[in-house]
Amino acid sequence: MTSISAAGTRRAGWLDLSFERRRTLLSLALLMPAVATVLVLIVYPLYQVFEISLREGKVMNFARISALPLGFGNYSRVLSDPQFWRSTSTSAIYVAGSVGAALLIGLATALLLNRRLPGTRIFRTLILIPWAVPGVVVSIMFLWIMDGSFGVFNAMLRDIGLLSGDHAWFADSRTALLAVIVPTIWKTYPLITLTILAALQSIPTEIYDAAEVDGAKAVQKFVHVTWPGIQSATALVVMVSCLGVFRDVDIIFATTGGGPAHATETLALYVYKEAFQYFRMGAATAVGTMMIAFALLLSILLGALARRSKY
Amino acid sequence: MKIGTVLSWIALLGFALVTLFPFYWMVMTAIMPTDAILSRSPSLLPDFSRIRFDAFVGIFARSAFPTWMMNSLIVGVLTTFFSVVVSTLAGYSLSRYSGVVQQSLGAMLLISKLIPASLILIPLFIIYNLLGIFDTYLGLVLANMTISVPLASWLMKGFFDRIPRELEQAAMIDGASQMQALRLIVLPLAKPGVAAATVYVMLNSWSEFIFARTLISSPERQVLTVGMQSFVGEQMVDWQLLMAAGTVSILPAIILFAFLEPFLVNGMTKGALAGT
Repeated sequence: MTSISAAGTRRAGWLDLSFERRRTLLSLALLMPAVATVLVLIVYPLYQVFEISLREGKVMNFARISALPLGFGNYSRVLSDPQFWRSTSTSAIYVAGSVGAALLIGLATALLLNRRLPGTRIFRTLILIPWAVPGVVVSIMFLWIMDGSFGVFNAMLRDIGLLSGDHAWFADSRTALLAVIVPTIWKTYPLITLTILAALQSIPTEIYDAAEVDGAKAVQKFVHVTWPGIQSATALVVMVSCLGVFRDVDIIFATTGGGPAHATETLALYVYKEAFQYFRMGAATAVGTMMIAFALLLSILLGALARRSKY
Repeated sequence: MKIGTVLSWIALLGFALVTLFPFYWMVMTAIMPTDAILSRSPSLLPDFSRIRFDAFVGIFARSAFPTWMMNSLIVGVLTTFFSVVVSTLAGYSLSRYSGVVQQSLGAMLLISKLIPASLILIPLFIIYNLLGIFDTYLGLVLANMTISVPLASWLMKGFFDRIPRELEQAAMIDGASQMQALRLIVLPLAKPGVAAATVYVMLNSWSEFIFARTLISSPERQVLTVGMQSFVGEQMVDWQLLMAAGTVSILPAIILFAFLEPFLVNGMTKGALAGT
């Protein structure tokens, strides 16, 4: 095939040239709708975000943003706001708690599903369903299950003697963050399972056979064969999950709304509230810009880890 | 080994039960009478003689549920159509060529996944008010495209990467133009990719909440995810209606998911993980 196409390009010079130019023009033409979409819907809005974050004063008269004076006032005001720092630590706990637990569950279920026991095909499909459920519906499911008075979760806890009376998980500021982490884990872990499972299935079985011949125990096989085989896919899916949980507001918005007493107000929600509840667009865009910078840093770090692939 | 198999199977069953319980409990709540539901020690098993579908009738007869569902569908279909067309063309170009434009667009598509929805909402809110497309389907569709175009473009690039270039080259040596080769040879082979992208974008649009909540203000244009919130009152929640609404609202998602599942392991983990 390659030899034929190589012969094809060895034709008359001017034909080659126009063919190459047609190719380039076509490649650009196909890209134009996407370029237009990205420029109009992402690049220009992002530029505006940055611009607003640098403008002093209330950005209420939207048509005249560029008339406002420039400065870093929004950034310094945000950095001296105790709630900003509280939201930062809330985000850190929320992301680390949700993705950490989802990773453990995802790893366990992927290893189990990889054993190809009878019925694993149907399990694989069933376990993935939460991934397809809208965050808002996930929220109402868990609001109901973990309801203080009539929640079945509390009823179960009472049955086994772990709880007496009621506990409103989402309404108590001591447990609210934990309460929003639970549905987030439930929604996050299927994608992790799926990804690790795909990586597991790409490890050649001969390597396991060879390890067995060498007398490797289960733990050794995991450390020397399984983990190197899934490391890069795991790093990638952890990165994607962290970015998703860091950025999304749906579950928290529809369960606690950031409350009680800001206990579940993550940075993403802080941005939303500053912008659309208090109309402090400057502060909101300043925090949002810092979030993007942080997400970029995180993805570069985990991306480097993901590239250290073995197979 | 035998005991290990049994234990693995039990563990897997446990995971599956915990994972599926919220669905089960949502449906149970919707079909059981109020006194069985608002109980401090609810029965985990259904009482078949007392099953009722009042709540399902209720959401259709006594709420704007059908309107919300129709709005979600309109926005979903429009978002999917525009996103998939734009992304299929871009995915092909990103896969086959690597000029400056391709590389910068590729980088921009990746970076756009780092943007929180609550942040991009701010400039969109401003621009929409200037352009007069605040509170319109068009505005919401465009907002959804900020998420779906990057996602679907990378998904499609992944699919095109796996179609050998030699196929188009052979067609062109036989006299086909580049465009004909794309239309007659490559696109038919990319059908599973287009199907996966379609379902994937549709699912995302169906689930979307924060754009719709902020960019749509008229009740008659409200989508499902936002409308359902109205069952959650200030003082009390109508759990049965809410659970019936939740059950019906995830049916399309589950059906779409059934279509997507065969492509998942193959397609998503390679091409689309970058697009999640």
